[in-house]
Amino acid sequence: MRFCRSSLVLVLVLLGSLKGHAQGRGGGPPPAARAAAPFDMTGYWVSIVSEDWRWRMFPTKGDYAGVPLNPEGRKVADSWDPAKDEAAGEQCKAYGAPGIMRIPGRFHITWQDDQTLKIEADAGKQIRIFHFGAAPAGGADLQGVSKAEWEFAQRGLGRAIAGDRGGPQAGSLKVTTTNLRPGYLRRNGVPYSSNAKLTEYYDLVKESNGDTYLVLTSTLEDPTYLTEPMITAAHFKQQADATGWNPAPCAVR
Amino acid sequence: MKTATFGFAIVIFSVCSAIFLGQAPAPASGIGNPLGPMVSGTDFSGSYRWLNHQDATLFTAAGAIADWGGIPLNDAARLYALSWSASRLTVKQHQCMGYVPPYTWMSPGNHRIWEERDPFTQRLVAIRYWGQIAQVDRTIYMDGRPHPPAYAPHTFAGFSTGKFEGNILTVTTTHIKRGWLRANGAPQSDAATVTEHLIRHGDTVTILAVVNDPVYLSEPMSKTSVLARQPIAPDAWLYACDDSEQIVGRKNDYVPSHLFGQNPFVREYAEKNNVPLLGSFGGRETLYPQFLAAVKDTAAAEAEAKAKMVPSGPPQSSRAPDPTPNDGNIHVFHVGGNVYMLAGDGANIAVQVGPQGALVIDTGAGKLSDQIVAEIGKLSSKPIQFIVNTSFHADHVGGNKKLQTAGADPSLMGSFFSNQFADAGQGATVIGHQNVQTRMQEQKPPWDTPPSDTYLEDRRRKYHNDEAVEIFPMPNAITDGDSIVHFRRSDVIVAGDIFTTTQYPFIDVRNGGSLQGEIRALNFILDRTLYQHDEDGGTWIIPGHGRVTNEWELAEYRDMLVIIRDRVQAMIKNGATLDQVKAARLTADFDVRFGQTAGPWTTDMFVEAVYTSLKNPPQSATAK
Repeated sequence: MRFCRSSLVLVLVLLGSLKGHAQGRGGGPPPAARAAAPFDMTGYWVSIVSEDWRWRMFPTKGDYAGVPLNPEGRKVADSWDPAKDEAAGEQCKAYGAPGIMRIPGRFHITWQDDQTLKIEADAGKQIRIFHFGAAPAGGADLQGVSKAEWEFAQRGLGRAIAGDRGGPQAGSLKVTTTNLRPGYLRRNGVPYSSNAKLTEYYDLVKESNGDTYLVLTSTLEDPTYLTEPMITAAHFKQQADATGWNPAPCAVR
Repeated sequence: MKTATFGFAIVIFSVCSAIFLGQAPAPASGIGNPLGPMVSGTDFSGSYRWLNHQDATLFTAAGAIADWGGIPLNDAARLYALSWSASRLTVKQHQCMGYVPPYTWMSPGNHRIWEERDPFTQRLVAIRYWGQIAQVDRTIYMDGRPHPPAYAPHTFAGFSTGKFEGNILTVTTTHIKRGWLRANGAPQSDAATVTEHLIRHGDTVTILAVVNDPVYLSEPMSKTSVLARQPIAPDAWLYACDDSEQIVGRKNDYVPSHLFGQNPFVREYAEKNNVPLLGSFGGRETLYPQFLAAVKDTAAAEAEAKAKMVPSGPPQSSRAPDPTPNDGNIHVFHVGGNVYMLAGDGANIAVQVGPQGALVIDTGAGKLSDQIVAEIGKLSSKPIQFIVNTSFHADHVGGNKKLQTAGADPSLMGSFFSNQFADAGQGATVIGHQNVQTRMQEQKPPWDTPPSDTYLEDRRRKYHNDEAVEIFPMPNAITDGDSIVHFRRSDVIVAGDIFTTTQYPFIDVRNGGSLQGEIRALNFILDRTLYQHDEDGGTWIIPGHGRVTNEWELAEYRDMLVIIRDRVQAMIKNGATLDQVKAARLTADFDVRFGQTAGPWTTDMFVEAVYTSLKNPPQSATAK
């Protein structure tokens, strides 16, 4: 029995070292983000507007139901004047990173290079850049600075010591965006500030009928206007091609 | 060398594991197969609350009338929803209606998920879910078991199996009752299957649900919901609900609804929120970005919306799969207590077994009678003693002769009656309404083995196989000779063709059937049923055709017939002819579930039966 126990310890040690190898910690540079991707999210995607339909399709001033706004946030939302935005050339304030993925539209995702993922949105002709590894320093703009990483299963302090049968596609894309210029969460003047931090998880889901969905879970933290982190989800259906791709300028109303 | 060492260690580990684990087979635990597949994946255990940062006003039991944007409702579903009245909630069977997946995720109460592991093998046999609102109790089997047959009962939670796909738990659910996509009239049919993908990131669980509903959706409805983990488990998990009298003195054949095109609340939501009416009506086009361009022509959008308020297009047939196993075999299903259902040969057959001979309700079409006798023989070592015919229709009495001949009624042998009838006790005794006997004898040539033991108006009572059995005549419902049977201890009601889950009632006006009698019969049954919890469980009902149900489905069937009656009656009141009534397509919202455009019982035939029996009701249908 003692032999069995010592062998078990040996196996556990070896298993641990093997796992370390597999994740690039045992030596050598980690694989490029593109090569390490647990799933392929490139291609054309269309918003399925089944969540927050009213607020995404036909937002009206003062309709901030669901947004955990503090009194200051409500004040800003209630005083929104679309004419002022137009006059100031600020038509794109609702098209920043915290808002763009919920605006009904199509998205084209490509690898800009092995370490950089690009998302183009036809609504407002916006471009988001996800940097794996070090993100460049930059001034605040609508899309901010997005740092990306693949988050594989079994993260956290504890790790399974055996029996991990999660399969090959066990991971998500985590994107953290900061350095944002103030903008709107919805196309009705519901604000976020330059203090906002956006954390997004992208997951890929395949249905048995062949439909493929990209599921986005977003957490927006903004101590300036929100009483608690705002957590929402959206999803996108993969298209075979660019059908419906319709780049259009930002519109306030 | 490292590889060799590692391989050796694995062998040793396997041997040790076998020593540790390879003991006598573990006894079965309460849930799941203890020796099912070994699976592991993300642990979702914990207490959660639904996050209303999205769809804030659309939690369960909420939602304004005609707030259906983003739901791919088809035309029939939209008509159903436009006809629905919130006052329906005052009807007894609707007061404690449960919620179905995936709508349950949007309930504002507490949610709990936990793992069920076999105590001996520690295999994950199921993932459990409890939702406070409506006390939703789900078991997601992870042990690789198949889903039940199509003729098995449905529940609001449905029957779920799961598997891990990477870091995602994918759950497939079938056998769901008719429920809500949104509790403002937007229906999810009982033919829907739901796939849910659960994704956990830290304390957040995102669920992408995809509803495939051939009856009420024009394309699969996909939608996300978000749960947030609660660090402290709440102490509020119940949802006390009992139905009660809401409006005293109201007749039991009153079901609130709006006639097509006459819902007075249809514009409230759109006007209040500055949404195009066309958008508020939902439909597949509202899901996509291009819908914004489609409604820019406001006049055209308004005209299109108005056209959607009344039926249009060609008549539709049911899109729900037939649960009847038409594979040439008899399928046996244990319903409750001593009662079984045998399906596969025409109308459903019910069998009650016990220390006495088998009591059989209906005998099917007669094509598979030998198999039926054999299957009954497996359920009961005693002969078939009694046969009850709920109808004279051929699919209910076709096996009378073979089943009667195969049985025996020992209660007659050696009794007083045996002196009067030479064949007393030889073969089972066939019981039925007098009109079943009459109709069978009137056929040319007369049909074999009509009931010999008949009744007219009052219930027929028996205490058989240790339980009270009541046979109730249902005058002028499907015919003038229908009966239902209530097994009181088993708490199973055999409804005959009074209730089917597959088609509109086959109201045989020529043989004394009527819509009024049919509605009265359904209400008679509802006066005898109970549910266990929130319209699930309780009294089981074996329909003439289709799957086993409880009172919920029967109440919905009653509601449908009352609503259709009211629509037809309104047109009759305005002097409409039968052709005008047919052309109005007053059943358009139900045709996709119960209608047929061809075959032995078409929607047109049903509408004609409704019209005829409303214009010329049989005397008994109006007497009580």
